[in-house]
Amino acid sequence: MRDTFNRMMGRTRYVVCRLFLHLSGSEVAPILGVLNSAARSAMDADGELDVLGEQLVKICESLLQLDEHWLSASNEGDIFWDEGEAGDYVNQLFTDSAQRYLSEPDFSSTNTVNEPLSIPITRNVVVMITVAYEGEVPELEADLSNIKVLKEGLKALINLHYKQKYRAIQVHFSPARLGDELTNDQLLQNFPELIPL
Amino acid sequence: MQGNKEYFQEHNLMWMNVLRRFIVICLAVSLSLTTVGCGGGKQASSGWSSDRTATPTVLSDGKYPVQQAQYNDANGEYTLFLLNSTPPTFATTKLQMARLTDDEIKQGQKTYLRVANSQPTLYLTEDFKIQYVHNVAETRTNPVNGQQETVVVRQESGFWSPFAGALAGQAIGSLLFRPQYYVPPAYQSGGFMTGYGGYGSSYDQAVSSYRSRYNEPPVAVRNQAIFRRTGSIRNFDNSTTQRANTGSRSTGSGFGSNTLNSSGRYNSVQRQSGRSFGSGRSPSMRRSYGGFGSRRR
Repeated sequence: MRDTFNRMMGRTRYVVCRLFLHLSGSEVAPILGVLNSAARSAMDADGELDVLGEQLVKICESLLQLDEHWLSASNEGDIFWDEGEAGDYVNQLFTDSAQRYLSEPDFSSTNTVNEPLSIPITRNVVVMITVAYEGEVPELEADLSNIKVLKEGLKALINLHYKQKYRAIQVHFSPARLGDELTNDQLLQNFPELIPL
Repeated sequence: MQGNKEYFQEHNLMWMNVLRRFIVICLAVSLSLTTVGCGGGKQASSGWSSDRTATPTVLSDGKYPVQQAQYNDANGEYTLFLLNSTPPTFATTKLQMARLTDDEIKQGQKTYLRVANSQPTLYLTEDFKIQYVHNVAETRTNPVNGQQETVVVRQESGFWSPFAGALAGQAIGSLLFRPQYYVPPAYQSGGFMTGYGGYGSSYDQAVSSYRSRYNEPPVAVRNQAIFRRTGSIRNFDNSTTQRANTGSRSTGSGFGSNTLNSSGRYNSVQRQSGRSFGSGRSPSMRRSYGGFGSRRR
């Protein structure tokens, strides 16, 4: 009822949503390269939303290509009619996503002498995508915990960039880079909401 | 018989729809009338203030002489001081501009704003100066949460004449008289700027034309986004082959940009069950509805 009224008054509808995607397998580690290069481009552009949108498209496309490695996923979101509330929620989600990994890694006591030449390859990668957009996208505003719906959701994320509807974009991922590992225990402990696909 | 029944149902449905729409319109009209009735007096007495919410962003169609114009590069907003309009201020971010033709100027035409189909267009004389408010921003680390934040340190003021000088003789000369979106040139201290930084038939085009010229987005666009990043990309340069010590958490990185304004309230956003969606096995961000303190689960 309230939604209908707000829409009638011509107010802007803001949607904030977050998507968790857990990839598993020995071939998933290369996606860390895509994610890190996206992070670097975003930094070079000082976080310009247009550039972030382009990088998000690249990330979504790589994720779609790795669909046989998707193991579990989860999503959540909210609809707002007030820009301030939506902005606060986006900030809140950033902090919440960031506390699921070591956002201030401790490099202090590593011994570089006895370092093995090989590096461990992680079998788990979690990607967290948070976006805020204007308007209504039914593909994203639903329960995305099955493969078919999730694919549609990722495609909708790509399309939103070209429709220029984004107001905020965040990408988090764990582990940070090739050579770091995300174990099954860490996964269970820090991402309890993941649902097997 | 069957067809007749269907027709009847359809007919009934149509009537329901008509009735529904009628009620909606009735309610809307009565509501807007009461709002205008209550709000009118207050607006007249308060005059104009710097409060953003007091400045209307919608004007009825018509032609308004412009007394003064201001551009703020913090959010790319134009504030116009109009004659023949109550309240006299009007604020918008999407403003088309065009130069008055020489004939019109000879006839004594001054700078004016025309609103057609609620799309505002500013027609300027060649020498009209738009007051340019420049926000000097610095990136600082917030001592509370350690996040990098852009803070406005002070404001400088200058002038911007989009159509002054030799511009009229340039290649886009004939385009000047057609309404287009313009982005001001890069700010120079001392503050008198002429010409444009970018232009285009849409605001986004103007921004991208600015970007191809200066190789960076306009200040207004840059100031709007708040960029956050965490993890190893925060200090990217020294992340060599060192491996971090991990315990219960693995390493990770995150980055994000937010162009939504913050409400400035301290309480966290409360999710209302009716509006939220998701796979929702357990809401990952638990929010308490009033009350605080530790609790046993």
